[in-house]
Amino acid sequence: MNYTKQIQDIASQLFAEGKIDVFVGYRLNGFDDNQVPVLIKDPQDVHKLVFTDKSVFNLVNYLKTDHTRRKRVGLVVKGCDSRSLNLMLTENQVKRENIYVVGICCEGVTDDAGQKMQNCVDCMVPDAVVSDELLGTASGADTLTYKMNADVAALSNIPLTERAAYFEEVFENCIRCNACRHSCPLCYCAKCCIDQETATLYNGANTTSAAFHALMTWSLHLAGRCVDCRNCEKACPSHLPLHLLHKQNESVIFENFQEHLAGVIPEDRGAFYKYSLKDPDDFIM
Amino acid sequence: MEAEVKDQLVSIEKPELIAPPNWEPVIMGILCNWCSYAGSDLTGTSRIQYPPNIRIIRVPCSSRVDPWFLIKSLQTTADGVLVSGCHPGDCHYISGNYFARRRFLVTKKLLNFVGFHENRIQFSWVSAAEGPKFAKVVNKVTEDIKKLGPLHLYKKENFEKK
Repeated sequence: MNYTKQIQDIASQLFAEGKIDVFVGYRLNGFDDNQVPVLIKDPQDVHKLVFTDKSVFNLVNYLKTDHTRRKRVGLVVKGCDSRSLNLMLTENQVKRENIYVVGICCEGVTDDAGQKMQNCVDCMVPDAVVSDELLGTASGADTLTYKMNADVAALSNIPLTERAAYFEEVFENCIRCNACRHSCPLCYCAKCCIDQETATLYNGANTTSAAFHALMTWSLHLAGRCVDCRNCEKACPSHLPLHLLHKQNESVIFENFQEHLAGVIPEDRGAFYKYSLKDPDDFIM
Repeated sequence: MEAEVKDQLVSIEKPELIAPPNWEPVIMGILCNWCSYAGSDLTGTSRIQYPPNIRIIRVPCSSRVDPWFLIKSLQTTADGVLVSGCHPGDCHYISGNYFARRRFLVTKKLLNFVGFHENRIQFSWVSAAEGPKFAKVVNKVTEDIKKLGPLHLYKKENFEKK
């Protein structure tokens, strides 16, 4: 998977036609073959753009910043990123006419070790679902059969006390830097509820208990919306397995409510914005 | 002795180790104004006894219950949570409890996933006419949580400096 040439051509053409003010893409980080996001504002810098299977980050996150707000933006999206873009459009965070989307039919990106990322192995929506221009050939993957995450399935089957011990260690390692929140495209609130100091629910201490509180709240706010791009995990300095919480919620939603995956269908706001009379009721007395 | 103290600090659920004598659970009861709160009122006016372990909070609708309420009560004082609302179809706001039902399932499964016993987070539908049912529900929840013992998992006081 290498679309470097096409993306450079598209970006320079867009600049030449005056369609965009800024182009969000990837560039090499300058040390090794890993890549970092880059905001191109000058047409002369277009040669910096690359796209290979090391392009791991979700660039939709950069639509939250002042560099792109109220500007015309060109953007590269993979399958998972396009779903988060779809959700941001549905939730009225960005305007479609301001964005020129270069969609990629993704074949999976790799981690530092050169292995295919876990979420790409399980990926159900590899092709960009929203795009002005689609690169690559569509895979026509099946978005309706749910692939249960292996880690979640394994953890669900071990005894409760062992699972509690495992997660206690996870929350213990959290340093409350909130990088997960900042790296998430769907955490766009100007003031996060976890940070509201006047609220009695506020808990700013750096303890296991506070991390439990913050991460649980965070994952429940993303339930039914998380697109499994794993930007949070890539950003986490403690390498916490944050995907476990999201995939657990996603599997419960997919199995019990017969919902499709978040962000696949335009104008769909996620599982918690609607209901069905047939929702499971057996857990309620 | 040292191992025992360590077990308490580690705070993994081990009821038989940690329950002190004469311990009584604290249960956070979050009740919807229109059905369950009126139902609990009926229980009282009908002179039906139910355990005093439940601390009742009144909310406008079961859909008002943010999962945050459950997380925060489990993290601070409560040993268990009971959320109660109108029966499906009876919601004062037409569809509030249908939306709530989805959130409850996901919240319950997630809290169970990170280590809380499923009996610590309970839900019920109690209408304004079901006084005896409310007493039955509170009895059951209290019994369940007494069996599990005090909750130490992720408790705030275990981690903050004394």
